[in-house]
Amino acid sequence: MEIVFSSINDSAARFSITGTSQPFANALRRAMIGEVPTLAIEDVRIYDNTSALFDEMLGHRLGLIPIRTDLDCYIPQEKCSCEGAGCDRCSVMFTLSVEGPAMVYSRDLIPQDPRAAPAVDGIPIVKLTKDQKVVLEARAVLNSGRVHAKWQPTTTCGFKNYPIVEISDRCDACGQCVEECPRGILVVKGGRVTVVEGRLEECSLCRLCERACLNTGIGEEPAIRVRSDDSRFIFVVEGDGSLPVREIVQRALLYLKSQSDELCEKIGEVSGVTGDEEENE
Amino acid sequence: MIPVRCFTCGKVISPAYDEYKRRKEAGEDPKKILDDLGMERYCCRRMFLAHKEIIDDLNPYQ
Repeated sequence: MEIVFSSINDSAARFSITGTSQPFANALRRAMIGEVPTLAIEDVRIYDNTSALFDEMLGHRLGLIPIRTDLDCYIPQEKCSCEGAGCDRCSVMFTLSVEGPAMVYSRDLIPQDPRAAPAVDGIPIVKLTKDQKVVLEARAVLNSGRVHAKWQPTTTCGFKNYPIVEISDRCDACGQCVEECPRGILVVKGGRVTVVEGRLEECSLCRLCERACLNTGIGEEPAIRVRSDDSRFIFVVEGDGSLPVREIVQRALLYLKSQSDELCEKIGEVSGVTGDEEENE
Repeated sequence: MIPVRCFTCGKVISPAYDEYKRRKEAGEDPKKILDDLGMERYCCRRMFLAHKEIIDDLNPYQ
């Protein structure tokens, strides 16, 4: 299996995986969305709220704020020795106290652990007028996106098959397909239609070019053919700021590895065979 | 208040609302503002275009 990154930074990545299957690609996608844990605010204790928003709306807005997560420092609550009571291994406390007139921003949330601050500073939470006041205490815990979307480390996260565009010798460079292509990946060059360099990955496999080619009366078969490569996938992953995208991908792959190892072990236990039956990743 | 995240994709969009509102009131084309703010997908763009701010109307009532 080969992974090639065409772009990567802390908030987004685009990469292709070669030599794998659709089920594996989907498993990776699902692991990135639902199995990589992050911190998010779960419990809010409201001491004073005279703003126009209800307490539960305030709590909901707080829950959606992405919080920078250091996964080496925190563990999920169910695995913690405090058994859900909340200690500094499994939760982060935040305090917020603002008096109006003011806009309450996510930067007004003061974390107990400065490493676990809100990932985005300028999220407006509520607007206060004169004499309005919000005083609260919030507790963020580690959990996974499978439980609630607020714990997802990713926003957009998806993949598609790698496109293959084949243009046969019957092409007469009429340019109909070039005009039809909504992504602009085709061009007439030297009496032939070719794919614009570096734009092949943009192809959405819509096959409008094939139809345009047939409409020119070329015969039963179009001169341009679009297929998808079943063993190569283009991934687009965007993070919400709580974790760098590189770490999301790494953690998801480690999760898949530990799951398949566990499966091997369990099968070994059941069948009584203790050999190394490797899972095909 | 503008929702914290896009309903569909989950991108954190609310920090951009202050600038969007300011520039829109100055008469700029929403298309250009949204392009500048990096709102690429139409799910995120509609969050701005379809939003109606009512917090100021609600504030007098307790």
